Amino acid sequence: MAETTIAAVFSGVVKTFGAVRAVDGLDLTITAGETVALLGPNGAGKSTSIGMLLGLFPPDDGRITLFGTDVPTAVRQGRVGAMLQEAKLPTNTRVGELVDFVRAVYPDPLPRADVLATAGLTDLADRPVDRLSGGQAQRVRFALAFAGGPDLLVLDEPTAALDVEARREFWAAMRSYADRGHTVLFSTHYLEEADDNADHVVVIDGGRLRAYGTPEEIKQTVAGRTVAIDLDGRGAAGLETLPGVVAVTVRGDRAWLRSKDADATVVALVRERGGVTNLEVAGAGLEEAFLALTETPDLEGSPA
Amino acid sequence: MTAVAMTTGYLRLELRRLRRDRGYLIGSVIMPLVMYLLFTNLGSLTGEQKGVAATYSMISMAAFGAIGAVLNNGGQIVEERTSGWLRQLRTTPMPPLRVVAVRAASGMLVALPAIVAVCLAGVLVNGVSLDASQWVRILILLWLGVIPFALLGLAIGHIATARTLPVMNMLSYLGLAILGGLWIPLDVFPAPLRAIGRLMPTHGYGDLSWRIAFGQSMSVGDIAVLGAWLVVFGALAAFAYRRAGRTT
Repeated sequence: MAETTIAAVFSGVVKTFGAVRAVDGLDLTITAGETVALLGPNGAGKSTSIGMLLGLFPPDDGRITLFGTDVPTAVRQGRVGAMLQEAKLPTNTRVGELVDFVRAVYPDPLPRADVLATAGLTDLADRPVDRLSGGQAQRVRFALAFAGGPDLLVLDEPTAALDVEARREFWAAMRSYADRGHTVLFSTHYLEEADDNADHVVVIDGGRLRAYGTPEEIKQTVAGRTVAIDLDGRGAAGLETLPGVVAVTVRGDRAWLRSKDADATVVALVRERGGVTNLEVAGAGLEEAFLALTETPDLEGSPA
Repeated sequence: MTAVAMTTGYLRLELRRLRRDRGYLIGSVIMPLVMYLLFTNLGSLTGEQKGVAATYSMISMAAFGAIGAVLNNGGQIVEERTSGWLRQLRTTPMPPLRVVAVRAASGMLVALPAIVAVCLAGVLVNGVSLDASQWVRILILLWLGVIPFALLGLAIGHIATARTLPVMNMLSYLGLAILGGLWIPLDVFPAPLRAIGRLMPTHGYGDLSWRIAFGQSMSVGDIAVLGAWLVVFGALAAFAYRRAGRTT
């Protein structure tokens, strides 16, 4: 490995599709050797940012560098490997053949047996791809992304379509790759995946950087606690004006109140509503941090 | 070195895929073969007439099969455009034009089995007899003459959607084959149709080999027609490729 410690840099990157500014002045640095989660709600600009990082389309403005060079050059040099969202495997192929193909295309690929073992595919090498389960196919796509031995591995929502067990197996495979010092960038909207698997979390929304830090640091950007109650069919009107409450999230018949003063909030809740059902008070998790960061117009530069 | 490994690695993958593609095997090898044996052994043909028909439609059906193979090969691009596999390839070190070049090469290779199978049936079943120089020239012309159709296949592959592909491929395949006289000789067409037929790439393609088989001199018209279609289909393929590149 060279002295390069910076894998990728976005500087003021802008991308518009028609009237939509999908990425709106994104600045971001990814350090080599880390696993970084790109976190954001749907439409936050995750896939667009990844598309530009991989050279699938150029930014309208700003600049992206990969390992100190421009994106097309880095791609030509085989420095990136990607697992794209919703890309299907080509028909009439077998798992091992696809791995061999990728290994032939990259200048410095990983050994075949190593690729198959890391992705948990050793027993599936001769399996036709149309006879794979969803989880197996996803691990094949993962294997194809890293078989070439890229310096940066990019995974765009790698577990979006998988069930719990397949997700667990996928992350086990990903970690066994990342633990060997490779740089991995993955996007997700599953918060616990970022919490469990990433060294650093990048939160983006509206095409801009909202926060960057370790999962712990991101959680700490949100002070206070979350108070959750059942609404008992009485609606959420008035909750946002209770003492301490800074934000209200309602899903179905349950409300989550983010509060600077949970004690005062609970007392007021009981008084105003004449009692509460299924009360829960929790410290801010990554989910609360995420909601706070992506609901508030602009938190850049806010104290950590 | 890397460029060679890259190209052969991709070509190997593509040829394996085509080998397992039943549509290719049935449409481009078995169907022309069966049609050839059927047309030439109907019983209504006897004596010298039968020998002429055996040679004539050997060339027609070999050409028909070769065209089917390259169009089928081009059609695979449609699936790969929609499935995201071509986008995946763009994240690898392989340049996009190399992907197209390999696709063209695989198309040329898969055209060979149809040509060889029908010619073998001509010799072994129908007793077609040509001298060595005729065979060499015919096999080479049948093979290289399919290049314009391979370009047409690449064009369709970059223009069509999964829904329009079968229609576009079928219309070009059967339309060009029938109009150009690959199924029924142009001589039995009414005069206006015959004039149109002579301008078809399929006719130029077949006629180059028919003339060799029946000892006639090469026709400048055939070469001009085929050359013109080579330019047209080549330009169409380049246009379609660039257009697809903006959306893939």
